[in-house]
Amino acid sequence: MKQSKHTRRFFNLVAFAGVVALAGAGGIVAAQAQQKAVKLGITLPLTGADADDAGKIQHGFQIAIDEANAKGGVGGYKIEVVTYDSGTATAGQYDPAQAATNTKKLISDPMIVANLGPEMSGEGKAMTPILSEADLATITPSSTNPDITSPAMAAQFKPKGRAIYFRTVTTDAFQGPNMANFYTQTLKVKSVYVLDDSGAYGVGIADAFQKRAEANGIKILGRDQLNPKEADYTTILTKIKGLNPDALYYGGVAQAGVKLAKQAYDVIPKMPKGGGDGIQGGSFFTGVGFPAVEGWYSTNAGPHLTEDPAAVAFVKTFTEKYKTQPTDYSITAYDAALVVLDAIRRVAESGKPVTRTSVRDAMQTTNLKTLQGEISFDENGDIKDHTVSVFQYKRDAKYPADDYTHQNAYIGTAPQS
Amino acid sequence: MSSWDILLQQIINGVSLGAMYSLLALGFTMVYGIIELINFAHFNVFMVGSFIALWMMQALGFVGQAEVLYGLPLVGVLLLVLVGTMLCTGAIGAFIERYGLRALRGASGTAPMITTIGISYILFNLVLLSVGAESKNYANPMPPLRWEIGEAVLRLREVLLWSVSILLMFALHYFVRRTKMGKAMQATAQDQEAARMMGVDVDRVVLITFFLGSALAGAAGFIFGLYYNYTSFIIGYTAGLRAFTAAVLGGIGNLPGAMLGGLLIGLIESLGGQYLQVRWTDVIIFSILVMVLVFRPTGLLGRAVPTKS
Repeated sequence: MKQSKHTRRFFNLVAFAGVVALAGAGGIVAAQAQQKAVKLGITLPLTGADADDAGKIQHGFQIAIDEANAKGGVGGYKIEVVTYDSGTATAGQYDPAQAATNTKKLISDPMIVANLGPEMSGEGKAMTPILSEADLATITPSSTNPDITSPAMAAQFKPKGRAIYFRTVTTDAFQGPNMANFYTQTLKVKSVYVLDDSGAYGVGIADAFQKRAEANGIKILGRDQLNPKEADYTTILTKIKGLNPDALYYGGVAQAGVKLAKQAYDVIPKMPKGGGDGIQGGSFFTGVGFPAVEGWYSTNAGPHLTEDPAAVAFVKTFTEKYKTQPTDYSITAYDAALVVLDAIRRVAESGKPVTRTSVRDAMQTTNLKTLQGEISFDENGDIKDHTVSVFQYKRDAKYPADDYTHQNAYIGTAPQS
Repeated sequence: MSSWDILLQQIINGVSLGAMYSLLALGFTMVYGIIELINFAHFNVFMVGSFIALWMMQALGFVGQAEVLYGLPLVGVLLLVLVGTMLCTGAIGAFIERYGLRALRGASGTAPMITTIGISYILFNLVLLSVGAESKNYANPMPPLRWEIGEAVLRLREVLLWSVSILLMFALHYFVRRTKMGKAMQATAQDQEAARMMGVDVDRVVLITFFLGSALAGAAGFIFGLYYNYTSFIIGYTAGLRAFTAAVLGGIGNLPGAMLGGLLIGLIESLGGQYLQVRWTDVIIFSILVMVLVFRPTGLLGRAVPTKS
């Protein structure tokens, strides 16, 4: 992925140089040089266990930006992108410390008027205090931890008070509980064991799930925490087998999830198992593979989009350009970029200077038709739509085993109450 | 499951973990025993070993867990890959010693140890950048055989893990105790200068020590892949930390100590997870380590080598 990006950049550079040379010959180079530009940051864990899904989010952002630039930019501004990688080799996945370092770099560049990302809530928690001080808004297509935008925790995550963390997905305040409703009403589960991966997202969604499950009358037989760097989860799985709950719920992302699913297939193959959007996407799906992935339920903090008629053109562009399938979060990423581009356009057209503050204010008043429908935000930056979709990995012999879209069957939306 | 079945199952789990830690700790403690060097590169040689074995399996035409072999062909394939991997990682270890560490032999302070950390990072990043970060599905031709003892389950892969570990441990023990080269190793461990005066080629002894230790790491890497059906660039980290702890717990530099330490840590991990919580595993392991070191600073079995003064 990295290689091809570099090659593409190189070709872009060559193509650009060619265009400049031609334009110079025609005497119109002056017009080129005069176009105003603004920069957008992109912060994603592009190396480590999250790389696959992060790449697909990055492509979603890039398609929106490329389309805007192809039309001559937005509001007269050409859009440039600065990308920072928040994954590190030592963490093996996203690294909150690296996310904070990257954010400091972002705010030190005055040309950057908004940021796209992050993928993970663990990054988001490290980024928001710094972003808030600089009044630099970011918009995430996938980070769902509710604390970050919660008014109760504003002192920690937005000390300046204004919303700077916007989302094109809903939060785990809906994702966890709605899945608990699905466990109760559809799976008819009476007892459950809950695990998390000790990350900000994993602990949060598992807590939210557990609370609603208890309220629904499901017995919680136990709750434990996995170390994502550990190789062996047979101990905890044996313990769960002994307790014999009706189902297992895992709050967390791929690094621990892959190993958990593989070993669960050996120890508790028949028990229904599920998780949140952390086990959506290729990192989990390809890492686990069939047959172990079969039967796992997962959720998305938004409507199911890749098979939606509105997204057909996007899916086609994506697949042709990147030779891989988009996920639902590629589309929420595209939508997120649209929101920012729309905000820049509205600021530019109103005649005000395009700054971080004006772009943030414009994002707050967004009312935009995107691929997932109308997007608008509440005063905390959370999307007003609270849809949560449920999926189940099921082998469909009509399609190749690695065809993510077709092996991850859409079950429906999770019950809101 | 009755509580006895669970206990039995957790002991099976713990012994399997322990066997892996022991195998990894052996090579590590061997190098320390001979040249008093903490070789941090060891754990990433283990990781590289699991990839080398995976590539060999793929070259032999095995992908994923679909293709299953029985009897002699199974033993043949596993043995071929095991020996091949051990030779490769052994060569890597020898290369590291010859070109990375020999020049630093006798250098004062921590320079050689820091060098091994550097080499460790080089291996780690080489794999990360060349194969990528996502977990790799392992090729595994073992049939899903399992025996039920009550409700506890013993699988073929556990039997394999145990038997390979025991075999390699005995082979190493025999080598060190009985062969001429093994005796040269013991002599070098006791006193390098004196050994040199007695005509022992110390450079050669150290090179072979690295070769053997790294070959054991490679074997552990292959078994890790077969046991968990996955590998990733990061597996050296936690397993390495545990194996390091096992070596210190048993008495660093002491071969039987490494085996005992590995086994104990495996059992603590599984039984602690069962009767307390998994999230406390590291706290339990390291508390026990600290207590053992307070009361027996040289580890459970003590150092096999007298300290140089």
